[in-house]
Amino acid sequence: MKNRIWRRALGLAAGLAAALALAAGSLAPQSTQAADDGTFKVGMEAGYAPFNWTQSTSANGAVKIEGSSEWANGYDVQMAKKVAKALGKKVVVVKTSWDGLQPALTSGKIDAIIAGMSPTAERRKAIDFSSTYYASKLTVVVRRDSKYAKATSIKDFNGAKITAQLNTFHYEAINQLKGAIKEPAMNDFPAMRVALESGTIDGYVSEVPEGITAEDANPDLTYLRFDKANGFKTNPEDVDLAIGLRKNDPDKAKINAELAKIPQKTRDRLMNEAVANQPSSDSTSNWLVALLKQYGPMLLRGTGMTLLISLIGTVVGFLIGLLVGIARTTPVPKSKGKRGLRAIGNWLLAVYIEVFRGTPMIVQAAVLYYGAAQAFHLNMDRTAAALLIVSINTGAYISEIIRGGITSVDPGQFEAAHALGMTHLQTMIKVILPQAIRNSLPAVTNEFIVNIKDTSVLSVISVSELFFSAETVAGQNFQFFHTYLVVSAIYLILTFTISRLFRIVEKHMDGPKNYNVMTNQMQVETPKIG
Amino acid sequence: MTDSNETILEVKDLKKAFGDHEVLKDISFSVNRGEVISVIGKSGSGKSTLLRNINLLEEPTDGDILFHGQSILADNFDLRQYRAHVGMVFQSFNLFHNLTVLDNVVVPQETVLKRDAAEAKAHALDLLKQVGMEPFINAKPGQLSGGQQQRVAIARAEAMDPEVLLFDEPTSALDPEMVDDVLNAMTALAHTGLTMIVVTHEMAFAQDVSDRVFFMDEGVIAESGTAEQIFEHPQEARTQEFLRRYLTRA
Repeated sequence: MKNRIWRRALGLAAGLAAALALAAGSLAPQSTQAADDGTFKVGMEAGYAPFNWTQSTSANGAVKIEGSSEWANGYDVQMAKKVAKALGKKVVVVKTSWDGLQPALTSGKIDAIIAGMSPTAERRKAIDFSSTYYASKLTVVVRRDSKYAKATSIKDFNGAKITAQLNTFHYEAINQLKGAIKEPAMNDFPAMRVALESGTIDGYVSEVPEGITAEDANPDLTYLRFDKANGFKTNPEDVDLAIGLRKNDPDKAKINAELAKIPQKTRDRLMNEAVANQPSSDSTSNWLVALLKQYGPMLLRGTGMTLLISLIGTVVGFLIGLLVGIARTTPVPKSKGKRGLRAIGNWLLAVYIEVFRGTPMIVQAAVLYYGAAQAFHLNMDRTAAALLIVSINTGAYISEIIRGGITSVDPGQFEAAHALGMTHLQTMIKVILPQAIRNSLPAVTNEFIVNIKDTSVLSVISVSELFFSAETVAGQNFQFFHTYLVVSAIYLILTFTISRLFRIVEKHMDGPKNYNVMTNQMQVETPKIG
Repeated sequence: MTDSNETILEVKDLKKAFGDHEVLKDISFSVNRGEVISVIGKSGSGKSTLLRNINLLEEPTDGDILFHGQSILADNFDLRQYRAHVGMVFQSFNLFHNLTVLDNVVVPQETVLKRDAAEAKAHALDLLKQVGMEPFINAKPGQLSGGQQQRVAIARAEAMDPEVLLFDEPTSALDPEMVDDVLNAMTALAHTGLTMIVVTHEMAFAQDVSDRVFFMDEGVIAESGTAEQIFEHPQEARTQEFLRRYLTRA
């Protein structure tokens, strides 16, 4: 169902981690089974209504999201509950980004993917699938007042301007609409809905659940109910949804048996309930008030997480950078042995800097979080992994900044300190570093700001920072423009505040340009009394 | 002004080359306690390099330097202690930009001599008062004029209670009206009996304050003697020429 190429492109990073882990896995016996603790850990985005979404209460049989104060619900969640019950386990929802689902499964962080995923041949190479738990149908979404709203067959679209989402099988299906004009493909559903409303197109090819949601969200739109004979011809691989499992999962038979027991009628009822229960956008006239009222707390938590990761990451990265920068600028020792040690140390530090500056943080995060779990069974907390990645990454950049700061200090400062008999360490601590740090401060501020923005790539390991929260919100309310506009504003406020704050710190460190003897003399006298 | 004939410092056949360029060619002299030696000569004659070799900011290529009879180039020589006893005042002041005037004088005492804070501060205030910089103790170096900075730098060097103070063209970077303040501070120091080696272009200072004057030319001490011998009766032709040029210009 979700065959979006652009998402797959993002998923390349996770794929690289998986590839690395596969290589390592072929050496070590593979036993990436999650600990059998009586829980059935299900991975989903919790942001793809009506299949799965995030809500703030336990209403309508929602399931608590692991490590969060929020709840997940939707068709997938209800299916997960049934399957878990049949296995005699307790269902746990692990909120995972789309790109992180497969690596999370193969690395044993989750037991199953129930996330509106279709069992494509490509995915079958890496993971196994249960039998179908929902079969979707293709439909065309049109304006309620257009002549195509009365269409009953795919043959009734002569002259209709039709589009579909880019890089999906939906777009190919337009060829089945006889006489339809194939418009250029579009990027996402909100864009197509806007195009449809404005009359740029007469319809777009979609799937029934999305059609229901579109109709629900916008009373001017409707989706067409074709009967079997007059509908699209589709490949089951495209429209069927199945539960993703690790290869050779011993529970597969039990899961298939349970799915076989759920008749089509029950499935339709569950989907209707899911569509009815899915979070609908607040009808308050002011979109901003509505957005903040409904999703404010979620965005605020995301902001907090972004700030926490970037702040700790920058502080720890600064300390790493300081140590590395100092180590790389120590004077060449006289003895040969020490000189060799220094050369080896410097080489290692250079490798560290080049590796972490030379690879994208998104790849580093995927390697550390998914790759390490798969290859070495190293299960990290995702927030800890995020902090580690950001710190090490920042350290690599800041060490070069500090090194530059140190070399830009006037050599006369070193000479004066040495001529007074100070050791190298004393010289660094008392004289050079305070100046080097002051010189480096604007660049360090930059790093902090970059970190605030770049933590967004950590959504790949499902850290609930601001961008991840925004994706969740937009996935629920379909107000992509409004949601991301608000999130942009939050990012801007954060970065602007940080840059102002650091300017104040710099000014404070520099002191006034001129020295006034009269006003400062008062300060001179006071310490003498004590 | 020489108090005794005790030799503090002895320079023996000192040579220094930067690559192929020989800056110091075979320099030898000794310094007695309480002596004030001025080193004069053209730019590029090796005066500054000589000073920088004495406290090992530059490593000699050949020869030896003895401090109280001990080679400062020996492997087991305590270079830090030596440097604490041989102060240096630079042409470009080199005050620590990140520290206040007071801390510039206090911090080296604390870190190198391990003096306690109160003692270091009392000492610093006393010395800053002597050079007329007491009103500025909370200023940062960047807020001061060159002459003011150099007087602080002298107080900083003095605070370490040095046995020898090296001055590397201390007034060359100053505006003319500030030179006198610094020279006065140096003259006052010389009168306390401190051993000083001063590289300078201030001929009046060299003539009035020094016990001995070295005239350097092309990496050697071309002529040395008392201030009177060098300035009144120079023997070497190049000394005469140098002095003629300098004194007529001044």
